[in-house]
Amino acid sequence: MKKRKAFIIAFILPCVLSLLIMYLYPIVRTVIMSFFGIESVTSDISEWSFNGIDNYIKLFESPTFQRAMTNMLLIWLVGGIIVLAFALLFAVILTSGIRFKKFFRAAIYLPNIISAVALATMWIQYIYNQDYGMLNQILEALGLEGKRWLGTDMKFWSMLVAFSFGAVGYYMLIFISGIERIPEDLYEAATIDGANKIQQFGSLTLPLLRGIFKTNITFWSVNCITFFLWSKMFSPISTETSTIVPVVYLYDIVFGTQGNAQRDAGAGAAVGVTLAVFVAIIYFVMNKLLKDDDLEF
Amino acid sequence: MKKKVLSVLLAAVMAMSLAACGSSGGGNSTDGSDDSSTGGGQYDGVELTYWSMWSNTEPQGKVLQEAVNAWMEETGANVTIEWKGRDIKNILASALESEEQIDLFEDGYERITSTYVKYVADLTAMAEEAGYADQSFAVFNDWATEQAGFLPCITEQPQVGGVFYNQDIFDDAGVDAPATWTEFLEVCQTLKDAGYAPMALDSTYAPFFFGYHLARYIGQDATSELAKSGGWSSNPLVAQAAQDMIDFVKAGYLVDGAPDEYPASQNKMALGDPQAAMVVCANYVTSEVNKTAGEELNWGLFNYPSVEGAADGVDQTAAYTGCNSIAITNYSENQQAAFDLALFITSGEYDQQMADTAGQIPADPSNTAPASQTGTVEALNAAQSSLVWNMGLNANADLTSSIQEVVVQLYEGQFATGEDFAAALDALY
Repeated sequence: MKKRKAFIIAFILPCVLSLLIMYLYPIVRTVIMSFFGIESVTSDISEWSFNGIDNYIKLFESPTFQRAMTNMLLIWLVGGIIVLAFALLFAVILTSGIRFKKFFRAAIYLPNIISAVALATMWIQYIYNQDYGMLNQILEALGLEGKRWLGTDMKFWSMLVAFSFGAVGYYMLIFISGIERIPEDLYEAATIDGANKIQQFGSLTLPLLRGIFKTNITFWSVNCITFFLWSKMFSPISTETSTIVPVVYLYDIVFGTQGNAQRDAGAGAAVGVTLAVFVAIIYFVMNKLLKDDDLEF
Repeated sequence: MKKKVLSVLLAAVMAMSLAACGSSGGGNSTDGSDDSSTGGGQYDGVELTYWSMWSNTEPQGKVLQEAVNAWMEETGANVTIEWKGRDIKNILASALESEEQIDLFEDGYERITSTYVKYVADLTAMAEEAGYADQSFAVFNDWATEQAGFLPCITEQPQVGGVFYNQDIFDDAGVDAPATWTEFLEVCQTLKDAGYAPMALDSTYAPFFFGYHLARYIGQDATSELAKSGGWSSNPLVAQAAQDMIDFVKAGYLVDGAPDEYPASQNKMALGDPQAAMVVCANYVTSEVNKTAGEELNWGLFNYPSVEGAADGVDQTAAYTGCNSIAITNYSENQQAAFDLALFITSGEYDQQMADTAGQIPADPSNTAPASQTGTVEALNAAQSSLVWNMGLNANADLTSSIQEVVVQLYEGQFATGEDFAAALDALY
């Protein structure tokens, strides 16, 4: 038995050590850093100065950080409704026995296998461009005036639509896997009882997808909180307020920007901790609101 | 038994994979060891590590590699170039703090004189001995020395800002480069009447354009102070500068669609219908537009026009200057060799090659600027005082993007008066 314990320890130790060094240490260090005034991420501890909760106060008083949080929440809420609604709609249609199901499934998922950089470039250059972009060409063909899709008032929404377009397929696949898990005989029984397709969707499909909804909303939330690339693509040279999100704000204050080399790793750590708290809140709220399936099928 | 053998084999494979991962090191690097000379060179046996902000597929990277190879051949030293790309700014500070093996590195001189200044060598004595002042632009050396307290870097790729224009369009419209804002507006009207769009503007460069204009009225220091603390409405010259821009936009001097998404508007200098005649930017805009056009435009440059009614003591000839530079770490054991290499790259044959290949200003004033950089060397030589990027509008790190948005809105025509613009800026504080 003793020998066996030694074996277990020998096998577990590398994994535990790796977790402690590579996962727990950075987390603990980041949390501690968020209470200090630190210029560089790797500054020696002797150069840190204790700030208490000043970093957090400074963050929440910053109009740029407030805007970044507002943008993130809008992406989460508005984008979430659009993406999950379309994903569910497509999932239901594709599992209803339509022809060319595999083709449509692949086509809707396709944006997920294209690099987000290429996808964003396509939207910016070929769809939103004022002179030869698709949207303004369509408006002009209809005799309407073209819009400045990437102007300060429209840029956020343009980015959100482009991002949502690429995200639908991923969540659709998760919904499809959930719908296909529901036994066919439940639908047959419902049909015999006289339920039409809409009633079946409302009374059978939706309740039985509760667990899948929880998964999708959690994934979507994490995706929104770590939103970075699309924001960078829509403001490629200097960060713009219309597209700023907390991770971009963090990046700018930790590494400095063009024309301003100031850095504040302590405030950056505070942004990281704030975002982690958001993830935890969303996780607990989701667990409270959407309990795990108590139905077995 | 079989299982034991299999376990041993798997363990061996795993150990080898880990070892392989560990030995890959910097990854994207070029080691010059195979090219080292036959011996007897000045720096035989000296090993240098060079962190570059370029990639080895870019024109700058290719010329740099050629220069380093030639220097190794000449001196017998061995130089390893680590191609870090533009994200070098994200990793350099940590690498310097931990005294990673770096002898030379490249980055913008603003960061070298602030972020990395604790880790760079004082080059003053070596520069004096080598007569570096004669091989470089004083404007960069003076600024860097003023910021750092010593000469911290060697200029590699100079930049200068101003109004870059298409000389052919100016000739066609019969106008000359203006010197004052009033003359500038007359030029714009003449260009418009001749069927051209006077000015291209991408939103990313809107603060550069307005920053220039505001700095002409109140100076860069006052702009920085306003950016940091607010109070824009309390200075009537801010509203005056904004009003000038409102009138400029209303007069229809911006090309259709401006302020546009980079680089759509500047590309209209090559492809626009009507073609745009001017752009306020730094000198690299000419190479970018040439690349889009697929041919060389006939470029010219004039300093940003002076304005009337400016605050006392504001230098009306100040120009944006900036540069990528080479710095040497203060913990390098081969600082003299590193300095000689930096000088070899930034002067003479390879500096000329860098300027010609990458379409940029030579670091050595005795070299010749390529056609796309016409007027830039003269502008640098004439620059009495330097302006930083966006002329102080970026001084508040937290509000930079918010200020930029308000400035872009100015060019979008969202403010009726200059006072509205100043009030919108004050609302950010």
